Amino acid sequence: MGIPTTPMVTQAFKELAVLNVAKRGMPHLRITFTPHPVASKTPEQLRAYVEGDDPVSAKPMMKEIVDALTQPLNQEEKKTGLVRVSVGPERYGPETPKKLQQFYHDNGMTDFLPLIIPTEESVEEMMAATSHRPDEEVGKMAAGAYPPWSYTVRQVAINAVMAGCKPEYFPVVLAIAASGTPSLFSSTNSFAYAAVINGPIRDRLNMNYGIGALGPFAQPNAAIGRAWTLLSKNLANGGIPGDTYMGSQGNNLNYNNLVIAENEAVSPWTPLHVQKGFRAEENVISLFRGLGIVPGQGARGTSTDTPKYEEQFSDLFSVFTGFFGGLVVADPLIAANLKGRGYDTKDMLIDWLYKNTTQTVKDYKSRDFAYGFDYPRALKGLEPYATWYKMPDDAVIPRWPHRDDINVVVAGGQTNAFFQGGSLSYTVSVSIDKWT
Amino acid sequence: MNRRTLLSLLGASPALLAGLPAETQPGQSNAKPAKASTPEPKVEGLNPRGTPPPIQLIPMAPRLDHLDGKTVWLVDTGFEGGGMLLEQIRLWFSHNMPTVTVVFRRKAGPYMEDDPALWKEIKEKGDAAIMAVGH
Repeated sequence: MGIPTTPMVTQAFKELAVLNVAKRGMPHLRITFTPHPVASKTPEQLRAYVEGDDPVSAKPMMKEIVDALTQPLNQEEKKTGLVRVSVGPERYGPETPKKLQQFYHDNGMTDFLPLIIPTEESVEEMMAATSHRPDEEVGKMAAGAYPPWSYTVRQVAINAVMAGCKPEYFPVVLAIAASGTPSLFSSTNSFAYAAVINGPIRDRLNMNYGIGALGPFAQPNAAIGRAWTLLSKNLANGGIPGDTYMGSQGNNLNYNNLVIAENEAVSPWTPLHVQKGFRAEENVISLFRGLGIVPGQGARGTSTDTPKYEEQFSDLFSVFTGFFGGLVVADPLIAANLKGRGYDTKDMLIDWLYKNTTQTVKDYKSRDFAYGFDYPRALKGLEPYATWYKMPDDAVIPRWPHRDDINVVVAGGQTNAFFQGGSLSYTVSVSIDKWT
Repeated sequence: MNRRTLLSLLGASPALLAGLPAETQPGQSNAKPAKASTPEPKVEGLNPRGTPPPIQLIPMAPRLDHLDGKTVWLVDTGFEGGGMLLEQIRLWFSHNMPTVTVVFRRKAGPYMEDDPALWKEIKEKGDAAIMAVGH
């Protein structure tokens, strides 16, 4: 900023704050820490914080702030220059596979499940599945509010081997890497991630989009999703608790993420990638980010002869924060039923959901996400937030800011008319074919 | 943990940066000898880490001699409770350092968005700033 400035951070984020300022070039920035948390405290409690000590330095907090702004700089604080960061040697060993595996675990490079040791030979074999050069830069990825790391085809291949991918999966993994989207993020929210795969490659790889489509029943579904997490850990330095990962509870979906191959053959509707502007014969991966996914069976009407699945979807989404999008993963039986009842397209269903899944302004404003993200946007005049914040508390508004926040995918084996609802926002679709 | 140690951790575990410590270095001699009759094959594993960007060190702005008569901006980054905490700091200044002029402002946009217009305004009109709160 060019004038003396000191940040205040709560004690729980000490390591993150110290490492983050260092990564941004100010390793000695004078940070004052407060007790944690600051939210949901009374003015009296916060006054006690201010009049008390910094819990990290044990010095009086306000003296520390005044000192931070007035004490002369030392030589370290005046330093300029470029610091190069090492990530260690190019290879480890030679050693037995068992010991090497433990080494990868001990150094935070895995999901702590058994892995395939990435030898030169196996990585070469992986890279043979793409026409791209080993040293070609694939993209950059940041696992939070940090400067992004970059990576090459070879570095992606090493992680694909570790995750148990066959070489034919590699273009899909490269497409994920090219998106620059990590599946581990530094937010205190324990985000979940999903990938929807469309196109003929689903059959070429023997992906499962039938019975148990979302479960651990096919190698490509499992390994591609797992590779995404290893990419996020190793290529973006993500998933380090206290540093680049702050999810308070974590998310089990992060092990291999939610990989969904759409059941295009029996779906009565346009596949997702075509909705996003690709041709049906193209191979595409579409990524989602949010809080997770829950099954919706047992909702009202399932046992009647006229189940209204759209109402069940709406019921389920009514308990989610509207901050993230809604992703319906419908069994083909449900899709067929809805088609028979007049929902000729996914868009018609999305229209209905957008108009009929609502909330009051009071409920909306009470949500943490609205305060932290939408309210500042309202102050800047962005719609619909600006209008929503001017409306009376009892006014009824849509659950989602935009119709496009809702997506529908068909997957499952038609053993029953069930669905799952994700609090998941669509982020991007990436061509897989580009990486063959 | 001091700052030097933390800086040395950037982008890699201590073991990776320093070279592997003896007790965990694959291939080192402190490993138990394998049975002569069934030697385990040894392999090399490749490093899966990406490439971190170099860090451009930024010198801190020169400090003030004192705060008397100065204008200090309190910037709410938008995390829950940050504004209320800064209000208590404003009250502290008014009681304990009344010659300090305090200006409160909530940063525009969600916490992760930059607000260069505000930084420019603070630099033009302020002498120092306190930003709160990192959660």
